[in-house]
Amino acid sequence: MANKKGNNGGRTQQQINDSKDYSTFKVVFFYCSLIVFLPVATFFLLKSTVLERFFTMSEVTTNIYSAVGAVVALHLALGLYIYRAYFGGALQTSDTYKKVD
Amino acid sequence: MSDAQSDNPIYGPFFGVMGAASAIIFSALGAAYGTAKSGTGIAAMSVMRPELIMKSIIPVVMAGIIAIYGLVVAVLIAGALEDPTTYTLYKGFIHLGAGLSVGFSGLAAGFAIGIVGDAGVRGTAQQPRLFVGMILILIFAEVLGLYGLIVAIYLYTK
Repeated sequence: MANKKGNNGGRTQQQINDSKDYSTFKVVFFYCSLIVFLPVATFFLLKSTVLERFFTMSEVTTNIYSAVGAVVALHLALGLYIYRAYFGGALQTSDTYKKVD
Repeated sequence: MSDAQSDNPIYGPFFGVMGAASAIIFSALGAAYGTAKSGTGIAAMSVMRPELIMKSIIPVVMAGIIAIYGLVVAVLIAGALEDPTTYTLYKGFIHLGAGLSVGFSGLAAGFAIGIVGDAGVRGTAQQPRLFVGMILILIFAEVLGLYGLIVAIYLYTK
């Protein structure tokens, strides 16, 4: 009986751990895909829109503005991730400590 | 005819192509080293402190950004490549210089990120207050690659 109870407790703890891992994975995956795809999307989007709107610009200028925009978007996404890791990570750590106690 | 031939030699685009290739090759080399070196640190650290995974992925993300710098410059150069009849040798040299500057800066930055990430992640597991210092050092390593990107874009506008 006691063994069964312990087993159930172990299972629920395992499920809690799994769901926590899954939520961490979701957050990390979201930010990593944002960091990988946002600059590429920004580059080509900016290139096409700037080309369409200011058609008088030369191709070199358009390319430069899109490259700078892509790099700025990349650093915004990275800053967002570091912010989340710094503040979200602290919350997670305190939660874990509470559960251990 | 002879003048045009000497201004636009048949081997002119070779330099531009080498610039585009070296931009992505060396940046990817640096990014791969940074990812692998800090990845071993994360793997060793996560055994004892799995809750720190999200914080410790940051060096890997920063190493990946180095490769994006190389990708941007390689795409810019590849977009400017033309037929040898319209592509001057000067343009080829400029593109080679742009590719090499972002490539080798990315290689250096990737090495720095890898070594700092490995030691920083292992240290953060034992002393969490090291995290801010690790992020600052990583940003300074990352900026080395950004300097290469700035020089490459400036060269590209010539």
